Amino acid sequence: MGLTKWKMNGRLEPTYALLLLPALAIYGLFFIYPALSTFVYSFTNWSDINPRDVEFVGWKNYKAIFREEIYMTGIRNTLVYALISTLLINALAIPLAVALNRGFKTRALLRSVFFLPAVFSPLIIGFLWSYLYSTSDFGLINQGLAAIGIGKINFLGDADLALYAVIFTQVWQWAGYNMVIYLANLQSINPEYYEAAQLDGAGPLQSFRSITLPLLAPAITFCTVTVMISGLKVFDIIYSLTSGGPGHATETIVSLMVKKGLGEGFYAFGSAFGILFVGIVGLITYLQLRLVRLWGER
Amino acid sequence: MERLRESSLKRRFGLRLGEAAMWIAAAVFIIPVYYLFVTTFKTPEQALLHPLGLPQSWLWTNYANALQTMQFGRALSNNLIISAGAVTGIVLFASMAAYTLARRRRVYSRVIFGIFLAGMMVPYQMGILSLFKLISEMGLMNTLTGVILIEIAYGLPFSIFLLKGFIESTVPLELEEAAKIDGCSVFRTFASITLPLLTPVVATVTILNVLATWNDFITPLLFLQSRDKGVLLLEVFRNIGQFSVDWTSLFPMLFLSIAPLLLFYLILQKYIIAGMTAGSLKG
Repeated sequence: MGLTKWKMNGRLEPTYALLLLPALAIYGLFFIYPALSTFVYSFTNWSDINPRDVEFVGWKNYKAIFREEIYMTGIRNTLVYALISTLLINALAIPLAVALNRGFKTRALLRSVFFLPAVFSPLIIGFLWSYLYSTSDFGLINQGLAAIGIGKINFLGDADLALYAVIFTQVWQWAGYNMVIYLANLQSINPEYYEAAQLDGAGPLQSFRSITLPLLAPAITFCTVTVMISGLKVFDIIYSLTSGGPGHATETIVSLMVKKGLGEGFYAFGSAFGILFVGIVGLITYLQLRLVRLWGER
Repeated sequence: MERLRESSLKRRFGLRLGEAAMWIAAAVFIIPVYYLFVTTFKTPEQALLHPLGLPQSWLWTNYANALQTMQFGRALSNNLIISAGAVTGIVLFASMAAYTLARRRRVYSRVIFGIFLAGMMVPYQMGILSLFKLISEMGLMNTLTGVILIEIAYGLPFSIFLLKGFIESTVPLELEEAAKIDGCSVFRTFASITLPLLTPVVATVTILNVLATWNDFITPLLFLQSRDKGVLLLEVFRNIGQFSVDWTSLFPMLFLSIAPLLLFYLILQKYIIAGMTAGSLKG
């Protein structure tokens, strides 16, 4: 029996492998191969000016990244962007979810309204907000500010403000999506816990701290990690709102890879930046997961 | 008794008040989308005077011009071809691969699953430079086929992850074994027994990938240069500089570029919300 089963499986193995083939071929060619060759290119002098005599140059490209201010600015902006958007989006999504997790008749409709912005492309959202932020006569936000007696604010033209103005649009776009995930988690919490807490004399704030937050751990892990990762990859919204400006105030890692790496032809250099990017994303995700786990054990 | 009724009345009142507050918050929240919509029907003068008011007369010429300027029909059909091609490929290839990965417990299947999982962590943007080289060497530059293949590659890891989990947890192995004893081949067992049972997770995978491929900007931007291959987002991007002053002409273009997804959302919102949040709490 054992032998025939083994034989049968052995004969079947190629068919199983065949089912894997299309996915493996496409993924291998268009994802794995570019990723691995990026690693190889990052140690060479391949560029637009030098497309043929490609040689290995060791760590030269990596060292160069740390010497160029614009790349350091890009990394710093990306980190600020990812961290602040993660904090703000989740700080808004959790209270919204808690507020919505009551017996409202129109709960489903409210949920759909808050979720809506998540369906649209950040590129279009960016173009729309560039009009909302505008200092020209038609800028809706500045019209409103003028109406209540505050002068115009040049949100996207001020180097100190621009990055935060970009973050604000993404908080607006993604708070509702994350709220829905928190809401799904909240609905899995047994209401008896709250009743017991109430009998013990716990106020709403106390039961939020000692029941809701700990039991939201799965959603908190998921939402903070995914918002952080997509924050580190930010590109579309930057491209449509500021294209990296004013100056380099909103330049990010991916926007620099497109602009410098592809646009100006520094291929090997851009590849090194790409590898560094993977390292940054990996390191931050790892630290974040450790942090969330520590918080969960407490 | 009297006190009980009073407290329940108070609670109901509090609930109504909370609901009203949530609706005010939702209204503030949705103003940008509303503003975009009403502005598309206004002349610049009207929009300037009453930015948030309903249009006095609904102006349709803005739309007629926008449809023409952004070559809407052609761009939309390119979008549809890319999304349909990519999503079909992803659903088919991912479920085939997930089936083998779920049912074979050998070393190779664990290693391959690990390689796919890595694709969920590594941001694909890191490899765009060599991908650019590869695509031009393969002669796929400026072709919809090239973009479809890239979108499939990006969509596979998470789809395989969702499908494999679903097959392992909900598709009964006994059914497949019975089919095998009846003489069904591996492929037929997969196609006629397993695949039909995957409907719920295939719906999730489809919705996620329709949104991801439709909203992807960087891939068409890098790999589709000629205008006749352009998608909606590229059309908006190309026209934005030219029309940045003439903003009431531009707003209909912005709205038209999100209109197909808005329609998709209005019809299927229950499934879209469920699909976009599915897998989030299991992972």
